[in-house]
Parts: sequence; structure tokens; C-alpha cells
Amino acid sequence: MDLAVNVNNLTKRYGDIVAVNNISFSVNRGEIFGLLGPNGAGKTTTIRVLTGLTKPTSGTVIVADWDVVLKPTKAKERVGVVPEVSNLYDEMSAWDNLIFAAQLYGVQRNERDKRAKDHLDLFGLYERRSDRVGIFSRGMKRRLTIAAALIHKPDILFLDEPTTGLDVQSARMIRNLIKELNENGTTILLTTHYIEEADQLCQRVAIINQGKIVAVDNPEKLKAAVEEHHIIEVSFSPAQDLNDKLRSLEKVSNVSRVGDKFRLHVEDASEVVPLLIDFARENNLRIISINTLKPSLEDAFVEITGLSPEVMATEKEQVRREKSASVG
Amino acid sequence: MKDMHSSHLGKEIRVAWAIAVKDMRTYYTQPPSIMFGILFPFTLFLAFTIGRNLPLAEQIPILISQTLFFASSSIGPVVIPLERADQTFDRFLTSPVSLLSILMGKTLGGITYGVLISVIPVLVGIIVFGSQIANLAALIACFALSSLAFSALGILFASIPGQTVGQVMMPLNFVRIPLLFISGVFTPIGQLPAWMQAVSFLSPLTHTVELASYASGGDTFFGPILNIIVLGAYAAAFVFVSIRFNIMNQRKE
Repeated sequence: MDLAVNVNNLTKRYGDIVAVNNISFSVNRGEIFGLLGPNGAGKTTTIRVLTGLTKPTSGTVIVADWDVVLKPTKAKERVGVVPEVSNLYDEMSAWDNLIFAAQLYGVQRNERDKRAKDHLDLFGLYERRSDRVGIFSRGMKRRLTIAAALIHKPDILFLDEPTTGLDVQSARMIRNLIKELNENGTTILLTTHYIEEADQLCQRVAIINQGKIVAVDNPEKLKAAVEEHHIIEVSFSPAQDLNDKLRSLEKVSNVSRVGDKFRLHVEDASEVVPLLIDFARENNLRIISINTLKPSLEDAFVEITGLSPEVMATEKEQVRREKSASVG
Repeated sequence: MKDMHSSHLGKEIRVAWAIAVKDMRTYYTQPPSIMFGILFPFTLFLAFTIGRNLPLAEQIPILISQTLFFASSSIGPVVIPLERADQTFDRFLTSPVSLLSILMGKTLGGITYGVLISVIPVLVGIIVFGSQIANLAALIACFALSSLAFSALGILFASIPGQTVGQVMMPLNFVRIPLLFISGVFTPIGQLPAWMQAVSFLSPLTHTVELASYASGGDTFFGPILNIIVLGAYAAAFVFVSIRFNIMNQRKE
């Protein structure tokens, strides 16, 4: 198989803290590959090593056939990087940001204008080309950051949390762009804490938790792996936080809350349903609905990591809000 | 092979220049650049000159030296922490550009700022006070070597990890301000005690002041050749150490 990225036994330590612990994975050429995990799992550190921002403590990383430690410049010529925070120059116009990115990547002078125009057109920003980036919305900045990362026509695109903090419309636009880029031959490696996003976009996903990769496979296979476990979705009235009580029920391995419903991971649904009816009676609750579900990628994630996906999203959003507040 | 090397070198120079031009357009008018690069030397100069009955025309070389010193050394410490804070510095590090090119660009940005600001007192001297340039070569050497040395000094301090201008500017000023007192800015070196003269020889600013003074027809205590040699040595040392410090800093990442 033709590999775009090959990571072997990568470890990254910061003093006593092991951010990434002996991970190995590879990304096939032409693939969309996702690193899925909660905040602090080691996704961004992995991306930082892959893009040459940080040196690994041990292990080897080959990107576009080049070792990123031994031949960083050669590897960097072939990749585009979209960090979690849009790193554009707010004081410069959209056009000047793209021209500067083209200069950094050695795009020939006679090509720069054409590429800047094409990319601004592609990302729907040409009409705003002369505006200062500082006045752009978060979604527009994100699109321009991706445009800047693509200005030298890279083979591989790294995206760190591409849709975090975006409104629904912008996030959908970015996801469609990622799909289009991939259809046109660009290999994509992205990190995300949105399970749904990984499921929609990625051909393969690595689930990373506490610096270790705990599973690598395509989303359907990950779901199939947990199919022997049943999922019961139940909602009660009056609505209240019942996670801990439900978790203490016999034969329930995990509980997560999705809107007004609770998802219970169980070994045998037929044994747990009567228990739920008793539980409702004892707690003076009325069962509004009760269904058994096929496992989703989220269920696979919960099963594999033992983490609640809600907690993961909440943590990340909180960090983002704190960052925004400190910048503001 | 030779062509490959020259094309690689050409690419590095082009990137360094692009970075310098971007810094000029983006950061020259930022408040910290104006504050530490322009207001600081001019205010210090006026504070020292006003009320002392010193002929202003004779003080122009001092002003030129101070602006070269402060303006050149301020750009790196303003630009680099700000770029670290908004993560635009990472843009350089993820692009196929060597750290040397990035630092070359940053140094060029400081040199250009220092030269542009310091040309103002030269023009004021000529137009307002009728001063003359007695030795153009000395003035060019003074501008070229001083702006290079001080810009590299700023880049050296900017290797201190930090995301605010203050985190870099405070230790830099801890070095810059004491240098004013031993470099012939306030008291001519000839009037200092022998031990102070020996100390002032070690200050790069001394040699900027002396060359600027020599260029406008004044005397130099150490002689223009020695001034040029010492400034050249400092320029080379600061460039070398700033590159080493930044590489060390990068390795810690």
C-alpha cells in the first residue's frame, strides 16, 4: 500500500509528562484519516510532530516519503497545515495573506496571483480579497487558513480540529471542502473530538486516549466490533440527571446522555428492559420511549475508551472559550 | 551541484526578504514598535538635552546612535512574541523554510526599521542645523554595523520564551538602559575615569556613538578603525548567538 504518512513507535515527552506514548499508525495515499480523541489525548501533539513543529522524543515519522526529523524541509514542501487556531495576519488583507503564504512555499512569482485568485474563488472569499482579515468571521478565517495551506498544491493536508468553534453552516461548508479536496486527490489527516464528524468524513479513524492509540479501523468496522453489545435508548418523565443511578443497574456497562434520552450499553437488552421498568416504578418515573439501537461510532468510542462523548466535547469547548476570553 | 546551492541560497534570501517586508507592513506601526523604537530614544534624548545648554547640533550624533540602538533592537522583541501569541510564528516553522531564513528575515526587519528611523536625525541635522557629513563611509559603516548588531541583539532576547512583548522587552531594557551610561552618550568617554573607559570599550553602543561622531567631523576616543572592528565583531557574535539561542529554544519544543 502506498503510504502518505507512516508513524512508528512515536513517543513525545515534556519533562515527566508523556503526551504521546509509543503510537504507530499509517495513512494511505488518497485517504481521509482521523485522529479521534478527547482534549489532552495527544492529537495536537501528534500533529505538531508530523508537521515538524515539535521533535519526537523517540520513534520515526515519515511524511510524503521523507523523515520529518532528518529531512524536515523536504517533507514540509509536500504538506499543508491548518492549525486549530487560524494563524493569519489580521492586519493584512486576505489577498496579501495568500501571497505571503505562496512566498513562504516558494511559489513562482508569475503563479502567485493566479493561485491566490483561484483559491479565493474556490473558498468564496474573492469579493472580500481586499478586506483586513481581522474583520473576518471565524468561519471565513478558517476557510482562508485552509486556502493558505493549499496555495502550494500539497499532496497531504493536516487539519487540527477543522470545525471547532464554527457555526453549523460554516462547519458543513468546511466538511464539504474537505471531501472535495480528497476527491481531487489530496490525502487528509485530521484531528477531531466530534465523533459524528469523524464518522461522516473519515475512511479510517484512530481512537487516541491518554497518549495511546486504542483502536485503528474504518468507522463501520469499529461499530461492528461493539455490535455484540446492545444499546438501549430510553427517556423518562420528568427529565432529570439519572446517569449515576442508571449506571448502578445490574448488567449496564456504560451510560451516556443524548438530549433528553439515556443510552445504556448492555450485554443483553432482553435482560435489562424489565430492570428499567422496575427502575422507573421505584423512582416514580414514566418511560416516554424505549428503543434498542445499532451501535454508532460514538457507541464504539464509548465502549473502547470508557469515556463519555459529552464530557469530551464539553472539555474542548470550555478550553476554546477560555482561550477566546483570554485573547479578548 | 553549484547551481542547486545557489538556487537554494536564492530561495532562502527571497523568503527572508518576504518575511522582512511582511514585518515592516504589519508591525512597524504597532504601538510597542513606536513606543520602544521611536518614542523611547527621542524622549531619552530630549530629557537629557533640554535645560542643559548643550548645542543641539553637536548632539545629533548622540541622537543618531540612540535611535539606531533602540529602533533596531526593538523590532525582534515586538514581532516574535506577538507572532508566538497568535501562532503566526508556527506558520514559518511548518513551511519549508530554514530557521536561519526566518531569523535572517527578522533581523532584516530590525535593520530596516533602525536605518529608517535613524535617517530622520541625520536629515534634521543637515536641514535644520546645517550639519555636514564629514565622512560618508564612516556614517555608512556606523549605520550598517550598528543596525545589524542591535537588530541581532533584539532577536537574541526574543528567543526568551514568552508571548507578550513585556516578557522580552523587560530583560532587554535591563541591558539597554545601563549601556547608555557607559557608552559616551551622557558623558564623553575622554572625561571618564580610566576604569570606566575600559568598561565603555566593551559596550557596542560606544562604538556606534564614536563612529556617528566621527562621521559628523568629531573626534573618536578609540579611533574609527577600532570602532568598526569592535562593532563588526559584536554584529557577528550577536548574529551567531541569536541563531544558537533560537535553535536551542526550538529544540526544547
